[in-house]
Amino acid sequence: MNIALKDMRFSMLRFALTAVGIGLLLGATMGMIGLYRGIVHEALLIINDVGADLWVVEGGRSGPFAETSAVPSSLDRRVEGVPGVAATRRFIQYNQQYNIGGKSVRLAVTGIDYPKDSGSWIPLIDGRLFRSTRYEAIADQSTGLLVGDVIRLGHDDYTVVGLTKGQVDMGGDGMFFVTIADSQAINRVLPSEAILLNRVAKGRSRMGLGDGGALAAVMVELKPNADPQLVKAQIKAWGDVEVLTKEEERSMLLDGRLWRLRVQILAFTAMTLLVAGSIIALTIYMLTLEKINQIALLKLIGARDRVIIGLIVQQALWIAALGFSVALFISFTIYPNFPRTVLLVPEDLAGIAGALLLISLGASWFAIRRAMQVRAQEVLA
Amino acid sequence: MTAQFWPSHVVMEVRNASKTYLSGANEVRALTDMTLALKSGELTGIVGPSGSGKTTFLMIAGLLEPPTTGTVHFRDQPIANASTRLNNLRDFRRTHVGFIFQKANLIPFLTAVENVQIALEINDVRPKQAKARARELLAQFGLDHREDNYPSQLSGGEQQRVSIARALANDPVMLLADEPTAALDGSRGRQVMEVFRTLADVHRVAVCVVTHDPRWSDIFDRIVEMSDGRVVEVRPGGAMKARLQI
Repeated sequence: MNIALKDMRFSMLRFALTAVGIGLLLGATMGMIGLYRGIVHEALLIINDVGADLWVVEGGRSGPFAETSAVPSSLDRRVEGVPGVAATRRFIQYNQQYNIGGKSVRLAVTGIDYPKDSGSWIPLIDGRLFRSTRYEAIADQSTGLLVGDVIRLGHDDYTVVGLTKGQVDMGGDGMFFVTIADSQAINRVLPSEAILLNRVAKGRSRMGLGDGGALAAVMVELKPNADPQLVKAQIKAWGDVEVLTKEEERSMLLDGRLWRLRVQILAFTAMTLLVAGSIIALTIYMLTLEKINQIALLKLIGARDRVIIGLIVQQALWIAALGFSVALFISFTIYPNFPRTVLLVPEDLAGIAGALLLISLGASWFAIRRAMQVRAQEVLA
Repeated sequence: MTAQFWPSHVVMEVRNASKTYLSGANEVRALTDMTLALKSGELTGIVGPSGSGKTTFLMIAGLLEPPTTGTVHFRDQPIANASTRLNNLRDFRRTHVGFIFQKANLIPFLTAVENVQIALEINDVRPKQAKARARELLAQFGLDHREDNYPSQLSGGEQQRVSIARALANDPVMLLADEPTAALDGSRGRQVMEVFRTLADVHRVAVCVVTHDPRWSDIFDRIVEMSDGRVVEVRPGGAMKARLQI
C-alpha cells in the first residue's frame, strides 16, 4: 500500500492547492528567466539572423544597435572594393510612432537592401518576401497588421505582403521591414518648417543625417577564407568609420546597453528562486509536521524507517512534480500572450527542475530528521 | 499466532523496574521497584488514581520506554533494560505486541480496512493477503459493512474496534490497552472489554488493560492496584472469582 498516495488522495484538494501554489511560484520564476532570455533574444535577433560578419558604422560609435549611427548611403560601394569582402548590404533601423487605423502603433522600421537582400532570413508565418523595390512591407504580428493591409506612412501607401512572429527590436517594438529606399522615404517625411530649418543647417549636419538619405550601417559578408580582423583593419584605416564584428556587436549590446537591465532581471530571478525555494521547503516540512502523530503511530505499530522516509520523500516529489507541471502549463499557455518575448529554453527548464528536485530532497531531509526524532509513545501525547 | 504459549505461561515480565523523569530541574519518580508478570490467556486490569504509574508500566512492558533501573523479560529472557535502544526493538514490537489506546489513533487518510491492512503490510504480508486478512478481522468485529469508511465516518466505538482489529492483525502474544473504554459509552465499553476477554480465553493472548473504570472488575482475571508508582494490591478479578467459585 502506498500511504503517500493514500494521503494525497484523501486530501486531494489540499495537495492540489499546494501544488498549484508551488506551480505559480515556479511559473513566476520561469517567467523571470524567460523574460531575461527573451530580452537577450530580441536584442540579438537581427545580429544573429541577418548573416553579417562585419558591421561598418559611423566612426567613433558603437552602432547601429548600442548607439545611433549614420553613414553615407554610398558607403556600401566603398566597402565592396575591400579584398576579402564577398558582399555588402545596406541597413537602416529606426523607431517611430504612427497612427494606423486610429491607433497609435510603434514600429521598428527596418530597411532591407532589396534585391541584394531578399529577406530570406526573415521567418515568415504568412504571406511572402519582397518582390518589388517599393511600397511593400513585411510586418511583425505584434504591430497588429495583417497580410493585405495597406497603410499610409509619410506620403505613400505600403502593402503588407508578409507577416512574421516574434520579430521585435530590443525595445519590444514590432519590426516593419521595407526596402532601403522606402525606409529612407518614410524617414524623410518632415513638416515643411523642419525641411526649411534642415536646409539652413545642412552644412552642419553629420553625413547627411536628417535628410533621410543616410544609412545606419553597412553589413559585410566575408569570403570563406578571408580574415575578419584583416578586413576590419583595412576598412577602419579609412578613419571615418568604425568596424565591428558580429561578436563585438553582441557584446556591445549585452555588456553595454542591456547590462543594467540584465543584472536587474537576474537579481529578481535570484530573489524569485530564493522565495520559491524557501516556500517549497517550508511547505514540505510543514506537511511532515502535520503528520507527526501518524508517524509516531506508524513507529508504534512497528513500521520500519523506510516506510516513513518513503512517505515523506514521495509526497515531496509528487508535490514538486505537480507544481512543475502547473508551472509548465502556465508558462506555455499564458506567457506567449505577454507583450514581450518570454523565451523558455529546455536548458533553463531542466535547471529549474533540477533545483526543484534538490530543494525537495533538501526539505525532505529536514522533515525526515524531524520524523526520525519522533518517538512512538508520542501517540499518547 | 507468532508464538504459542500454554495457559498461564509468563509472556512478559517487568522486574524491579523503576522509572524517573526529569521535569525541569526536578526528578519525578513514576515507577518504583515494580515487578509484574503478564501471562498468556490472562486478562489483567491495572487500576489506580492518575499519576500512579499505570501508563508508565504499560510503556515499559510494551517496550516503548526503557526502565531507569530493572529489566524487562520475554519468555524469561531479558529483552530490555536502561541501556536498550528501543528503536531496535521495533521489529519485536511489530510481531509480538498490540497496542490500544483511549483514542483509537487511526490513520485518518486510510479507510478502516486499510488501517488494519497497513499493520500487516508493515509486517511484510503481501498486499492481497493483507487485505483479505484485514477484511476477515473487521468482519469478526462486526465492521464488514464499514471497511471502506474513513475513521471520520465511524462512531467512537467503531473506531475503537478497528484499532483492536489493527492491534490483533499480526497475532500478538500480548495486548496492552490504555483506557480503551474511556471514550465509549457503557454498552460499547462492555463490548470492547468482552472482546478482550475472548482474546484471552480463546486466543490465549496476554491482555493488560489500564483503566479507571470500576465496572470492568468482573471481567478481569486479576486486578493490580497501583499508587505512587508501586503495586499496592493484587487481587483476583470477577472472572477469576467465578472460575474459582469464590
